[in-house]
Order: sequence, then structure tokens, then C-alpha cells
Amino acid sequence: MTFELSQVAFLSIAYLLLLFGIAYSTERGWIPDAVVQHPITYILSLGIFASAWSFYGVIDLAFQHGYGALAYYLGTGALFLFAPVVLAPLAELARRYQILTLADLLVFRYHSQAIGGLATLCMLLAVLPLLALQIQAVADTLRLLTEGETPAPLQDTFTFREAMALLYCVILALFTILFGSNQEHHRGLITAMAFESLVKVCALCIIGLLAVYGVFGGLDQLDVWLSQNPENLELLYDPIRSTSSHTLLLVFIATAVAMPHIFHMAVVENTAKHATVTITWAFPLFLLLMALPIFPILWAGFELNAPMATEYFPLGVPMLFGSPTLSIIAFIGGLSAATGALVAITLSLTTMLLNHWLLPIFHFGGKYNIYQQLLWLRRSLIAAIFIGGYLFYLSLNNEYSLTNLALMAFIETLQFLPGILAVIYWPRGNRLGVIVGLSAGSLIWGVGLLLPLITGMNALYIPGVATPIPLGFEYWNGITLLSLSVNVALFVLLSLATEASDEERYSAEICAGDELSHPMRLALDVYSPAEFQQRLSQSLGHANAREEVDRALRQLNLSVNERRPYALRRLRDQLEINLSRLMGIGVASEILDDYIPYKVPQTRATSDINLIESRLAQYRNHLTGMAAELNNLRLYHRNTLQELPLAVCSLGKDLEILMWNRAMEELTGIPTDEVMGSHLDNIAQPWGTLIGSFSRSRSTHRYKQQVQLNAHIHWISLHKSSIQGPAAQSTEDQVILLEDVTETQLLEQELVHSERLASVGRLAAGVAHEIGNPITGIDCLAQNLRYESDCAEVRETADQILSQTSRISRIVQSLVSFSHIGKQSPEDFQPVNLQACVDEAMHLLRLQRDKTQVQFRNTLSGAITVRGDSQRLIQVFVNLLSNARDASPEGGEVVVSASQQDEIIVISVTDEGSGIAPEHMERILEPFFTTKEPGEGTGLGLSMVYSIIEDHGGHIDIESPANPEKRSGARFNIKLPRQPLTQMT
Amino acid sequence: MNSQRPLMFLLLVLYVFSPTLFNWMINPDGAWYRPYIIWMLVIVIAYVIQNRRQRHDI
Repeated sequence: MTFELSQVAFLSIAYLLLLFGIAYSTERGWIPDAVVQHPITYILSLGIFASAWSFYGVIDLAFQHGYGALAYYLGTGALFLFAPVVLAPLAELARRYQILTLADLLVFRYHSQAIGGLATLCMLLAVLPLLALQIQAVADTLRLLTEGETPAPLQDTFTFREAMALLYCVILALFTILFGSNQEHHRGLITAMAFESLVKVCALCIIGLLAVYGVFGGLDQLDVWLSQNPENLELLYDPIRSTSSHTLLLVFIATAVAMPHIFHMAVVENTAKHATVTITWAFPLFLLLMALPIFPILWAGFELNAPMATEYFPLGVPMLFGSPTLSIIAFIGGLSAATGALVAITLSLTTMLLNHWLLPIFHFGGKYNIYQQLLWLRRSLIAAIFIGGYLFYLSLNNEYSLTNLALMAFIETLQFLPGILAVIYWPRGNRLGVIVGLSAGSLIWGVGLLLPLITGMNALYIPGVATPIPLGFEYWNGITLLSLSVNVALFVLLSLATEASDEERYSAEICAGDELSHPMRLALDVYSPAEFQQRLSQSLGHANAREEVDRALRQLNLSVNERRPYALRRLRDQLEINLSRLMGIGVASEILDDYIPYKVPQTRATSDINLIESRLAQYRNHLTGMAAELNNLRLYHRNTLQELPLAVCSLGKDLEILMWNRAMEELTGIPTDEVMGSHLDNIAQPWGTLIGSFSRSRSTHRYKQQVQLNAHIHWISLHKSSIQGPAAQSTEDQVILLEDVTETQLLEQELVHSERLASVGRLAAGVAHEIGNPITGIDCLAQNLRYESDCAEVRETADQILSQTSRISRIVQSLVSFSHIGKQSPEDFQPVNLQACVDEAMHLLRLQRDKTQVQFRNTLSGAITVRGDSQRLIQVFVNLLSNARDASPEGGEVVVSASQQDEIIVISVTDEGSGIAPEHMERILEPFFTTKEPGEGTGLGLSMVYSIIEDHGGHIDIESPANPEKRSGARFNIKLPRQPLTQMT
Repeated sequence: MNSQRPLMFLLLVLYVFSPTLFNWMINPDGAWYRPYIIWMLVIVIAYVIQNRRQRHDI
């Protein structure tokens, strides 16, 4: 059966255009997100692992190695089965540090640009045979379809077949350039790759079903056929007993993680979190479906006496069976497999070449748009790789089977295995070990396998050695084991014998997943995002630097005015990550180290507490056992501090704020999120100055610092203590406690005021006592003088003296009353009817006809009683009512009313006078303070009221104006306990 | 290391049973698809473990 070349070419191009369409539709958002972001799409896209070799070549492998061929799937399947353990740490590293390729990973881990260059070289050599393999598979199957099952021998000329292969390469290069050359996640590409995986797995399964049910007539018939041809069953079991099968398993395990395209898909594009879990069973299932048809197809080929090479049985079986549709399906399946692998390999190799060969050597950026430059570089590299692959394919001239080419590539990728395993599992491994080990292993591979492939030589003659060393693919098993052994031995020995640098050790610890205890708080000498931009523009050019800084600020939700050291450190890290994505981890860290270097800390252990905390919060669910317990303990202590009803903050040695609890938030009004990681000097006033000057001072306490908050004066006491870090030589951080003592201060002031009143009272009592005696003397003498003298003038003088002494006596009497002379002790208090007291006072006042006449109104009920001294309570009301009367206009009303609040009785005396001026309110209870005319009042009345009420366990307060509408009147509220005695005793 | 305990246990079980499994697998009297049966079993186990883990996470 043959097909017209035009038909096949048309079908191939149509299929490739379909892939274009899917990628384009995805990028334009025409395919729903539910499909694009579904874990199955991602898992199918991983199917690029199964290249044209696993569509065709693996049949040949099954022929040669029996069940050993399954190692190809089992090795990879096992790796994905344990993805949460093996791949997840790598994917996490890749995500956090924007590691895009295997070379990036090695550069990050071993802190050496040289490793990046070397890894890229080795990878380039390794994938060339793989690229050639894909092209060869497509060209060969094209030839089979167009020339029949037994094509004419190949000629050494550039045939139509080569032209078709070239056209295929050109279309694929275009596809890759269009959908893969930007730096973002390749959504379109991934969906297209998922589709091609689906096509190839379906195609292979259909051919498998054709083999079992079409060729043999069912599973039972297949068993019968196998029992009739036992040599086929023997083929399954015999080879796996040899060592080569074990070597194969080793090679294929390495392939799964080291092959650039698989690394890219499994580690870099692994963005969907839930996919990491689904992958554990779904990808092995995909591989099972790919592996299931292998043996039936092989046997069907034997049964049909297929004349072509074993590797093309998947196409040969439907052709010999006589089914054009199934033949085309098989061809498209193979084409699909080759396409996916070619695109993915090219992309990852492009990134490697760009980041590890071109960017470190040539300087890009400056005044040109760096993004455009990089885009064009990537495009050129993609084209160059396709050309390289095609030329390599031409140079091989179809002399090697697909299996040979694939194993050749896989054995070289095996050389990366020691270096990769050490990334996660052996922090001791160092860069010298990797460089020497990888170089030696690759050299043995190059001489033993690659050189014979290119030059055709089959033995190495060493001067002085009689027998030549045999080379070539027949010895692949030995060469593989030798190269790997030498590689591992050199890696281990050199790593143990030499010391790694500090930076390398730091990276190694990060990679080993032990980084939680290590983030150091390194200082930057840059203080604003604008400064970042200005520094970076020296390397990237002004426009590029501005775009990068703006992007990083956006990603971190920071403002351009940010000045917090903590935030600026995050900004630097984000810039490094973004630049790594753009130009590779090596170049990015070089730029950042050159222009925005971290200052080496003076002391070793300044841990970045904020970073540790945020990471712990992020990884909380990952912690188990002791770590989880410790984290719970940490959270408990943290919450204790956070909810402490005292304002607490802690500061690093460099005055960076490390903690700011809730009470502190409430006291200062500065949210924790804003202040964490700030330098103390940058926080809002007055707190910056208050806490800053205290933290720099030597004193450990400062009492009652006065600060103005919201137009009110507050008093704050500060206390501090130093915190010793966990490391022995660590610097001392500070914990500072702020205490708002405003209320206490106000109470103290009130107490001082009361004390002053009391002392003035005591003074008055003393003065009264001392003045009383001489006054009595003067009074007697004046009376004598009056009675004994006949002179009218003298008698008038005596009368005036008597009048003045009488006035002095009244004042003294008031003073004596004020000084509590003769007051009852609380034990002697009797129940007093307040209504009667008020009536008595009113009665007394009504007798004074010469004063302003006002209406007194007593609204108290007769049931209101308190325990007290009735005479002194009458005195209280006399004083209050007389003051009210004096302040009232003629005919005004003075009302005494009462209300009850729980155990307190409030008696209010309200007048309709002019009220009390605000400036007098504070002093009105002071002794000798009066607003009356000289001679009218002593200024002791209200003081006495205050003293008597205090003695009764009560309190007095004043409202003025009592009538807010008219803004007039004053109200004196006397609060007396209903049972003062029980409370007082 | 704690989170990898089940993995260590699984490897130990595999090591202990591998000769038996291997002999059963390559027994010439058995069906040719025996390796695939084991493979399928492993996938089912992985699926069950993954489902349980997701429930735990929730």
C-alpha cells in the first residue's frame, strides 16, 4: 500500500496547522480556562516525554530487551509516582527562584557560571542525536507511506524525503518561534502539546487493538499464537536477566529528570498545585497506556512478516493489514510524538544557550529595549537549533537506528544525575566535584559513543598500549557504566576533599530544604525604589530598569515611596527573580550583586525574623511531627505577645521593627502591616522620636513622657529590655513596652488638687483658732472702752471696732465650721430625712428679707433618707440655696429635686441665674475663691459644702449652664450613698 | 524525614517482595501482561493514597 506524497504532505501540514490553531485559540482565550488549566491538560502535556522514539523505537527496544523495554516507562513512571517527594522540592525551588532549566538549577545550587556553560554544552551534545531521531522518524515514515513497505535503498543525494524533512523543520521552527519565544508561561503551547499527546496515545492504542483483534483475532488467539511460537515469549524474559536491562533502568530514570524538555515540563511549568498530586497516578497511567500495545504490535509485525525495521512496526502493521485509515492514524501519531518532543527540546535548549552562553558573554540592555533584544535572540536561537538538528540528521545519513540515537542521548543525560541528586540530597557536594565529574563522564561518553557515531571510528589507539580500546554502540553498556562510575567517583572524592565557598554552602542549604532557619537580615545601602531604578539603569538602561522596578513593586503591592528596609529587601529579591526569568539566574544575580549588593553584616546572626515568619505561615501545612509542635508553640507565644494588653514592640540591632502588637496598634494608630520591617526613624511622629530616642538611650525606663495625640495630651511611660538572640555571638535586639499612664496622671492631679483643698482647710482652722483668742481680747477691750468712756468720738470708734471684730468673728466662725471642728464621726451618723433638711434650709433663708426674693421649691419626697449629720447637711443646703438665690434674678425659681441611681441618691439644686463662667469652674470649690463683692462672701461656702459631702462619702459636681437652650442657670448635683455607713465601715 | 516515612516503608516492602513478584512476573507459564497488572495495581494504590491525602488537606 502506498500513498501519494501530496496526500501525506497535505495531511501532515493540516495536522501541524491544527496544532497552530489550538495554540493560537488558547492564547486568545477561545478555549475555556476549565480545559486549559485542568490538571489532565497539564499531565497530557507531560506526554512530550514520549517522543517519536517511544512511538516507534521502543518496539525495537522491546525486540532487543524484552520486558527490559518497559524500564523506559517504569523509570519515568516511578519518578512521577513519587513526585511529591522527588519533583515537588525541585518544582518549589524552581518556582521560588525562577529556575527555568537544568543548567539554571545547577548554577543556583553550585553558585558557578562555569557549570551553566558546561551543562549547556553537554546538553547540546546530548540532544543533537535526539533531535536527529525525531526528524529521521518523520522522514522514514513518510518514505514508508509513499514508497511502500519495502522502499528502495537510500541514495547519497538530497532527495524529496530530505526536502520534506526540511519543510517539516521549517514549519515547526515557525510554530516554536510564534508560541514559545516569549518568556511567560506557554499556555498555548502546553495545550497544543497536550493535544498531541492525546493523539499519539490514542493512535498507539488503536494500533495495539488492531494488532490484538485485527491481526490475531482476540486475546485468546494471541495466547494460542504465543504458545505456538514460544520463542517470542522467550524474547520477553531472557534479555532482562542480563545487566544491560539494569543499566537501561538507570538510564531511563535519569532521562525523566535530566532531559531538558522533561525538566521544563515537570518542574518549570508545574504551576497547578493540585496537578502535583494528580500527577502521581495519572502520568503513570498515561505511560501504561503507551506501553500496553508494545508487545502485541511487535508480535503482529512478526505474524505479518513485516519487511521493514522492527522500529517501524507501528506503521507497518496497519499498512500490511491493508487499512489506509489506520496507517494514516499511525503516521499522524508518530508525527505528533516527534513534533511535541522537537518543540519542547528546542525551547529548553534555547533558554539554556541564551542564559548560559550568550548573556554572560555579550552585554545586552543599555539604551535599547532589552525585551525586544531577548525576543529576537530567542527566535534566532530557535531557528539555529532546528538548523543544527537538521544538519546533524543529514550528517548521520540514516545509518543508525532510532534506539541507538535515543540511548546515545539518554546516556549523556545520565551524567547529570549525580549533580541533580546532590541538589536535594547531598549538601556536601560542591562545584569542583560536579565540574570534574560531569566533564569526565561526558568525555568518556563523547569518545566512546559520540565520536564513533560522527566519524565512524571503532577503536581508540593509545600510544604505548598494545591492544586498542574498542568503541561504538556495541559497547554502550560498558561505556555507560564506566562513564557514570568515573563521574560519581570524581564527584564524591573531590567534594569530600575540597571545601565549598560560603555562598555555595548557603545555596546548598536552601536546596536541601533546610533554609527556614537561615534567612539572614542583610543590609542594603539603597533606601528607595527610585534608587534601585537608578542603579539598575547602569546595566539595563533607563527604560528597562524603570519597567522592571515598577513590575516588582506591583507584584509585591508596594508603593514607590516605600522606605522600609524589609520591603526593600523583598523588592531586591523580587527583582532578582524577575531578571532570572528574563536572562537566567547567573546573569541576574551578577547584575544584582554588582549594582545592588547586600552589605556584609557585621555580626553573623541577624536572622530575618519577618521573612522566617512569613515563610512559616506559608508552609504551616507542610510541617509534621516535632516541627509542627514547635510551630504551634511558636504561634502560641506569638499570640500571647500579640494579644498582650500592653503595647509591645521589638527592634533589631539596626532599629528595624520586628514586632508590633495589637495594643501597640491601638495606642499608636499605626497598623502592624505598615510598620513591620520599617526603620524606627521612618514611622509616624511623635512615635518615631519618642521610641527612637528611648531605644538609643542607656536608661531602661522613662516615665510619663508627654505627647500630643489628637489635640489631647497623653502621658506615656516606656520600659525596655534587651533580647539575646539564639546564637551565642548574636547581637542584642530590644523589646520595648509602652504604657499609657494618662488616666493615672489625671487621677494623680485630682488627688493633688484635693490635697491642696484639705491643706488650705487645715490652715484655715489653725488661723481661725489663733485669730479667735486675740479677737475676743480686742472685742472685750472695745466693749470696756465703750462703757467706760463718755467721749462720743471714742464710743463711736469703739462701736466701729466692735463691728469690725464682729465681722472677723463671723469669718472665723465660718473658718471653724469649714475646718470640721466638732464634726461627727461616721459611727455617730443618724438617719436623716433630706426633705426636712431642705425645708429647714429654705425656711432659714426666707427669713433674710434684705436679700433677693426668689421662689424656693422643694420636690424631694419624704421617703428619701441618708445616714449623716443633719445639722451639717442643713448647712450644705443653706450654702447652696443662698448661692443660688444670690445668683438668681428677682422672682427667679430655685428648685431642689432628687433622683436615684442604684445605691446613689442625687440631689440637684438648680437656679435660673447667669450660670458659672467656664474659667471659674475649676476653682469654684477652692477655699477663699469668690466672685462676690468684697465683704459679701468669704469664699468658704462651697468649700465647706465640698468637705461635708466628702465626709458623708458623697460627691459633688456642677453643671453650667443648667439650661443649654437659654444658656443660663447652674446645677449642683450632690451624690450621696443611700447607706453610707455600711460602705464606710 | 517524617513525611517520607511511608515512602521508606513502601521501598522496604518492595525490597522484601521483589524476588517473589519478579518470579511471578517472568514465569513463562503466566500471561504476558502480568507486569502490566502490577503496574495497574501500583496506579490504583497511588490513586487511593492521593484521594486520602486530599481529604486530609481539606
